[in-house]
Amino acid sequence: MGLGRYLLRRLALSALVVLGVTFLVFVAAQVVPSDPAALYAGPRPTAAQIEKARAELHLDAPLPERFASFAVAMASGDFGVSYKSRRPIAQDLRAYLPATLELAAVSTLLALIIGIPAGAMSAARRGSWFDRAGGFGAIAAVAMPTFFLAMLLQAIFAQSLGLLPLSGRLSREIAISAPLETVTGFTLIDAVLAGRFDVLRDAAAHLILPALTLAAYPAGIAMRLTRSAMIEILGRRHILAVRALGLSPARILFGHALPNAICPALTILGLSFAYALTGAVLVEIIFAWPGLGRYVSEAVLSKDFPVIAAATFVVTLCYVAMNLVLDLVQALLDPRVALQ
Amino acid sequence: MKRRDVLKSAGLAGFAFLAPSAWTIAVAQDGSRILTLANPTGFPDLDPSTSFSNDGLVLANVYEGLTRYIPGSGDTPAKVEPVLAESWTTSEDGLTWTFTLRQGVKFHDGTDLTAAAVKGAIERTMKIGGGAAFIWGAVTGIEAPDPQTVVITLSSPQPLDMIAAAGFAAWIISPAAQAQDSAWFNAGNDGGTGPFRIDSYEPGQRVIASRFADHWAQAPDGGFDKVSFEVVEDSVLAQNMLEGGQADWTYGLPYDNLESLKANPDLTVVSNPSFETLFGLYNTKRAPLDKVKVRQALSLAFPYDDVISAGTAGLGSRAYGVLPQGIWGHDPDAPIPNTDLEAARALLAEEGVTSLDLTMTYATSDPLEQVAGELWKANLEQLGINLTLQPMAWEAQWEMAKADPAAAQDIFVMYWWPTYVTPYDYLVSLFRSEEAPNYNLGYYANPEVDALIDSGATLAGTDRAGAEAAFKAAQRKIVEEAAAVFILDKPNIHVTRADLQGYVDNPAYGHVVFADSLSRKG
Repeated sequence: MGLGRYLLRRLALSALVVLGVTFLVFVAAQVVPSDPAALYAGPRPTAAQIEKARAELHLDAPLPERFASFAVAMASGDFGVSYKSRRPIAQDLRAYLPATLELAAVSTLLALIIGIPAGAMSAARRGSWFDRAGGFGAIAAVAMPTFFLAMLLQAIFAQSLGLLPLSGRLSREIAISAPLETVTGFTLIDAVLAGRFDVLRDAAAHLILPALTLAAYPAGIAMRLTRSAMIEILGRRHILAVRALGLSPARILFGHALPNAICPALTILGLSFAYALTGAVLVEIIFAWPGLGRYVSEAVLSKDFPVIAAATFVVTLCYVAMNLVLDLVQALLDPRVALQ
Repeated sequence: MKRRDVLKSAGLAGFAFLAPSAWTIAVAQDGSRILTLANPTGFPDLDPSTSFSNDGLVLANVYEGLTRYIPGSGDTPAKVEPVLAESWTTSEDGLTWTFTLRQGVKFHDGTDLTAAAVKGAIERTMKIGGGAAFIWGAVTGIEAPDPQTVVITLSSPQPLDMIAAAGFAAWIISPAAQAQDSAWFNAGNDGGTGPFRIDSYEPGQRVIASRFADHWAQAPDGGFDKVSFEVVEDSVLAQNMLEGGQADWTYGLPYDNLESLKANPDLTVVSNPSFETLFGLYNTKRAPLDKVKVRQALSLAFPYDDVISAGTAGLGSRAYGVLPQGIWGHDPDAPIPNTDLEAARALLAEEGVTSLDLTMTYATSDPLEQVAGELWKANLEQLGINLTLQPMAWEAQWEMAKADPAAAQDIFVMYWWPTYVTPYDYLVSLFRSEEAPNYNLGYYANPEVDALIDSGATLAGTDRAGAEAAFKAAQRKIVEEAAAVFILDKPNIHVTRADLQGYVDNPAYGHVVFADSLSRKG
């Protein structure tokens, strides 16, 4: 089976996953006891307002009819309005999703460039001080509670050293004196597009602490996984062969051994990226990061189903896309994957 | 230079690139003065017609209503102050209200405030019918006979001057903005007349507003040019920002931290009574809580002072019935019970109650309600009563209470605060008999109380003293019959930077800062 067919199969599977999730969300919305009309009618509605809301939302329509309109809304990207705030959900997602994607992407990148090389080096110098320190660091990074690490970083880099901002995504200074025009919603990209290097600097500074906090766990895991996979690979005969051919240790390590050992770590990083899309609530709250996690957790607490459904749908899409990319990368790195 | 050195200097240069002079600002580069408010919640809806949440902090600085409520304090009685309306009169039957508008008021888009604009704004709010639009429920018609005069007719007498002062659904919007939908407002646009106008809105992060140069009132000397409404959900972060001078105002910090905050010379802790009152409604439909004496006994067993000291660091105040102080109709002489376990035991014995299992529902993650429940439970145990504390999400707690009184909770603990300042809002919502329960979740039904509430409501538009007497009489009856345990009136605690001048709390608007009147010392 070639790479093309492999890709097609993965795509078909992905579509099934998205459809299944959409259906499950709709079913969950019917099963969980809550009154959408009461929510839609406002924080302290009168009985008359609730009845009016029920009519407006067509909540008395038959179930198949409601699933049909729900599925159409999801597919067209018009997610309707939030029951709680009555704001168009698509508008909210455009604001919150880029903030989250930016944070998740930077933190995954950090985890990648810290975790994988460090794991490879540890394996190459097994038993050295680097290996031991790395092992300790990885366990500390994995074991430390997120909120504690977040506050520790804030205390050191923001409050005592004053090197980095305490919280937020951009300084008030910028929002007040010269706001950045929103094009993509990704501050880093928008800053470059606008040629605003002051904003780029500011956005990068704001990203460092939350991204480091989020990166700690996946970086630690990726490092341990890479290390153990590398130790196994380094003991194989083809490594002995290339060593005999006289290649430099760095080329052996990163050119020949690492591509064979990288797959488990990549999988973990891909999953942790997807997890960060909604799972970074604590980090988002502590750093006042205007991300999807906070938005969704609020919706979950108030059972605001259109928001939950839209967010689930979008996150599923990101998740599926991420997995697809990972599968592709793995298939490119290791042709055997596509053949299975 | 060795490679390692190059790397080292590159790293240092990177840090220098990232390290700005300071992350705190009170004055922008162009010299404008900035006020920063750290709000513990987001601003979910900036549409002034439907907003019914914590957006009030922003909207009250951007929009204005016809009037504003100023609570009484000490010997000064509460009053309704003119804002966009300069004066108003009411007909003898209280059904026709005529407002004369202030001259020379401009909307942020440059158009003039006219009677037609006021009519259109209120009609937009009524037509959408979301949020607190029900405050206009009695309005049957709005006329604009000339550009300065608005005539509103009602189906029943109402205190329309107070309704127009509401913190929700009473904002006046420009004609151009009236044609817009919710998405337009929530993209950071506004159509108000207020002292500030919205520059930008970053959802989940902040709203930036700057002073409106053509505002009808003169800005105070040294007043702020910009206001940054920051969303800071984490109370630790909010406290850090305040201590570090990155924010000027916040609320919602834990009571336990207040002592150390008070000791900080850079900060001021402002504590005031609020209009928010905490109580537990007894399920009057279920035996033995249908007996007045049993309910009285439970109220006698409630540890009022302990809850105030343990739950609010001593800053809350005893509730005299359901109407907090500062609201007209508040009754400082109401016959409220004091904790007395022996008296409670005697009352229970009279009704032959020796053991009892009760369930109290309250909001998950509300520490004050939890403390109240736990301390009460301890007292009740001594009387042979077992109180089960059932924390629930508000939606679930409310659904259960509305469904079937016979299967519902025994005690429903909740807060109430007024949508607009009137005793009627508290009394009619919580204690007037309802066929299908909505907020009368103790299912209390007393024709005498109903009649008193209704007569108070009828008189409220024309004879405020008579209305107050009727509301007080209704409340006396409710307190005597122990329809609820009146736990406490919540304190409003705000922490500000010490150099902030002119800060006054107005509990009628909850956690709202009127930024217009503030300035910074020095």
